[in-house]
Amino acid sequence: MADKQKKTIVVTRFDPDKDEAPRQQRYEIPVEPDWKVLDALNYIKDHVDGTLSHRWSCRMAVCGSCGMNVDGTPKLTCKDALADYGDSVEVTPLANFPVVRDLVVDIEGFMERLQKVKPFILRAKELAVEDGPTRQSPVELDDFRQFSMCINCMLCYAACPVTTNEPDFLGPAAIALGHRYNLDTRDQGQAERNQVFREDGGVFACSYAGECSEVCPKHVDPSGAIQQAKMANVIDWVTGLVLRRGDAG
Amino acid sequence: MSHARPVIDAMKPTKPGATRTAPPRAPDGFPSRGNYRGYLAFGFGGFFLFTLSLLVLRSVWAIGTGEAAWNRLQAGFQNPLYVIYHAIAFLWLSWFILRLFRLFPATQPKRFGPFQRPPDAVMVAGLSGAFVVVTLALATILWGAV
Amino acid sequence: MVDVVRHDVVIVGGGCAGLRAAIAAVEADPTLSVALVSKVYPMRSHTVSAEGGAAAVPPGAKDDSLEKHAFDTVKGSDFLADQDVIQYFVEEAPKELTRLEHWGCPWSRNADGSVATRPFGGMQTPRTWYATDKVGFHMLHTLFQHSLRFDRIVRYDEHFVSKLLIDGGQCRGVAALDVRTGQVRAVLGRAVILSTGGAGRVWPFTTNGSIKTGDGMALAYREGVPLEDMEFVQYHPTGLPGTGILITEAARGEGGYLLNSEGERFLTTRDYGVGTKAELGPRDMISRAVIQEIEAGRGITLPGKIGQYVHLDLRHLGKAKLESRLPFVLELSRTYAGVDPVTQPIPIRPVLHYTMGGVATNIDGATALPGLYAAGETACVSLNGANRLGSNSLTECLVFGARSGQHAVRFAKGSSAGSESALLEQAKGEGARLDGIRGRKRGGETLAGVRQGMNEAMEAGTGVYRVQASMQQTVSDVAALKQRFEQVSLSDASQVFNTELTAALELRNLLDVAEAVALAAVSRKESRGAHACRDFPKRNDPEYLHHSLVHFGETGPRFSTKPVTLGTWVPEERKY
Repeated sequence: MADKQKKTIVVTRFDPDKDEAPRQQRYEIPVEPDWKVLDALNYIKDHVDGTLSHRWSCRMAVCGSCGMNVDGTPKLTCKDALADYGDSVEVTPLANFPVVRDLVVDIEGFMERLQKVKPFILRAKELAVEDGPTRQSPVELDDFRQFSMCINCMLCYAACPVTTNEPDFLGPAAIALGHRYNLDTRDQGQAERNQVFREDGGVFACSYAGECSEVCPKHVDPSGAIQQAKMANVIDWVTGLVLRRGDAG
Repeated sequence: MSHARPVIDAMKPTKPGATRTAPPRAPDGFPSRGNYRGYLAFGFGGFFLFTLSLLVLRSVWAIGTGEAAWNRLQAGFQNPLYVIYHAIAFLWLSWFILRLFRLFPATQPKRFGPFQRPPDAVMVAGLSGAFVVVTLALATILWGAV
Repeated sequence: MVDVVRHDVVIVGGGCAGLRAAIAAVEADPTLSVALVSKVYPMRSHTVSAEGGAAAVPPGAKDDSLEKHAFDTVKGSDFLADQDVIQYFVEEAPKELTRLEHWGCPWSRNADGSVATRPFGGMQTPRTWYATDKVGFHMLHTLFQHSLRFDRIVRYDEHFVSKLLIDGGQCRGVAALDVRTGQVRAVLGRAVILSTGGAGRVWPFTTNGSIKTGDGMALAYREGVPLEDMEFVQYHPTGLPGTGILITEAARGEGGYLLNSEGERFLTTRDYGVGTKAELGPRDMISRAVIQEIEAGRGITLPGKIGQYVHLDLRHLGKAKLESRLPFVLELSRTYAGVDPVTQPIPIRPVLHYTMGGVATNIDGATALPGLYAAGETACVSLNGANRLGSNSLTECLVFGARSGQHAVRFAKGSSAGSESALLEQAKGEGARLDGIRGRKRGGETLAGVRQGMNEAMEAGTGVYRVQASMQQTVSDVAALKQRFEQVSLSDASQVFNTELTAALELRNLLDVAEAVALAAVSRKESRGAHACRDFPKRNDPEYLHHSLVHFGETGPRFSTKPVTLGTWVPEERKY
């Protein structure tokens, strides 16, 4: 039986009751060729050090739990192949987020931003179940579908330099989600949502770094959503000066 | 690569959490990595936009004061420092405009009614090409006029 | 130290059923306050991984009817499901999916803008509404985002419920560990709904994520509420090697073939009871067919992977159809199996996917414990009987999530709050118990070791095919494992975000569920639906047309039965 290959996983550790600041810990473990980074973390937890805390669930890149910085880049650790890295790989908590414990970050700031963009169908008059489903053509669905694919993994926030420096910035995922609803033919809440988009920290705080779309594992292209939202808001604002507009309320 | 400087406020929730947290760290690779360089250069352009605006105001003021003032202004621009400044400003502004053109397709919706949006490459090539042509034309005219 | 919060309805679990119940509760009475307590943020609930679709007779469908959907479900269940439940389900299904459409769910569409449907296993007509092949993701995010409209839904995210609080013979709240702080919070209410999903993590090879540990089932079970039909667990035919990641039934619905090592489409060339439905037969039959092919020596071996596989061939569907209808299948196969379905067949084998059994409830979601309700995969209402049809479960979560939400509200309004001091005492006791688990030093056992032992025992005794002798062995193995669990030593004594503690609580829940599954399995001496017993290969209606019930006991579980509610359809031979 051939000896298994070994790798060193360097992990951030932080227990607020014991540690002044985060520190690094090294684990040398045997690895399988088809492992993802998450498999290495789970191996450490199960067989080497039960005190390591990290979030994970679906292991198929759809729940968004397992986002971390791997060798400096925000990644979904359940999707990221360990074989892509050398003998040593560094796993740190997602950048731009306060750290609660080890690799676990505080995502309440993100949840607040989600809520702010009113990510639900807003209508002047609610639809009745008896009337059945509304009609929406495949082309109309295609207009917003890409922006609905966000799994809330927050890798985009970890990559965004505006998020680092501007505490109020809504951020890529929240704006993409708001824009998704703005584009949905069933929604009538564009005016209300655009007011949020025009506030301080809204869409105009973005200055085109584009790193969010680079790291997005679901190809949502949040940068594209933000740029479209900016253009839509400019047009919205100009027409709003000229025309009276009925809001969805 | 790691241990970037900690920042204080990124993604901080409005209500303090129930346990002490370690401060967020800036994205690794900042500011030297690809897209971050472009982001900084774009933002740094504020310097050129501000100074060019001041120069425009100065020029307008000189025109309003009279021909003598205008001639003095023109003479002042012969200063080598001004020439260097204008050369850098021109290069930066060209980069800034071409970058905006490259980003322009992303601002457009996927379709306009029944029409799909044109391919990104076509839009970028068109805008950039027009910019180059107009710039050359203006330069030729101004060169000729001088 | 225990923190107290007071609400009217407390919902444990924030997936499709839990979120739907919360919305139904606040809509039923906007003055009430609803607590949604989940051990993960709701977007992480395992609903998110569902791929294929959700079934309902489309409004205005010409060649489909409620009766057809009901009959397909009854037959799919091998006549063990309760027919009054099914009747209600098929009536409500189209309304629920329509509601979701109104709330923004991006259902895939036909050219004329109507909602599209696709064929699915065991359904005589296509009636599965879909959203490309990420229906669970879209439904969950639609429900969660819609729930953000209601500020009467108060969320307690990353709170692990470890005990039900009971006073005066009634469930009046839960003791929830705030994972972030390590403190126990008493979340009090006048009705509690359990919607924590199934227990796939009992088995080693499963489509389920790490959080599917049967928490709600175990919580109810330990308070004396019986678990129903636990022997019926669904092996989904097509799971990827190693990880068990799900490849949706929709891949077969769109026309995929299953091939053995000889390239033979065995479901059409050999008699596996699926008739002309072939790859679109019900899941239990397809899984058995695959295992039989492997046992007959026509399985495919993969280097470095344990076990044998067959091929799911999608190549003939063509790149365009795959990219538009099954993009997630393409992504999963490429990322997790190193295979491109456009040019290569996908190796798959049956994988544990769904627990038909669960907390015994009536049609309203009410359990034997007053004030306690259950809905979704956690519950056994029973919609699915001995085998579930694909795409019925997401709709089930909506229909019975809504119904239990409404009934919990009704119950809460007619109920008193009970003695708060008694409830707080229980919560404090639970806090002390958890303090005693953190970093405890006992014998030489480890969480991983006991978990692996449980996985192996359950795989041996409750696989696709079962044998009385190995089921008996599994019953005693699980009992021994429960003893071994008491000897597990832990290393993390910390307060903040201690995931070793939550893993220990989850393993305890898994062992309780495993005990119920093993006892129910060995007690059913017939084959029905997903319970295929080699010693008793035929269905035996005269002696076994009943639901099984397992009751928790200090000295070991106790078995009893409950009659099936029959209706329009009389049990007949199940052939397709």
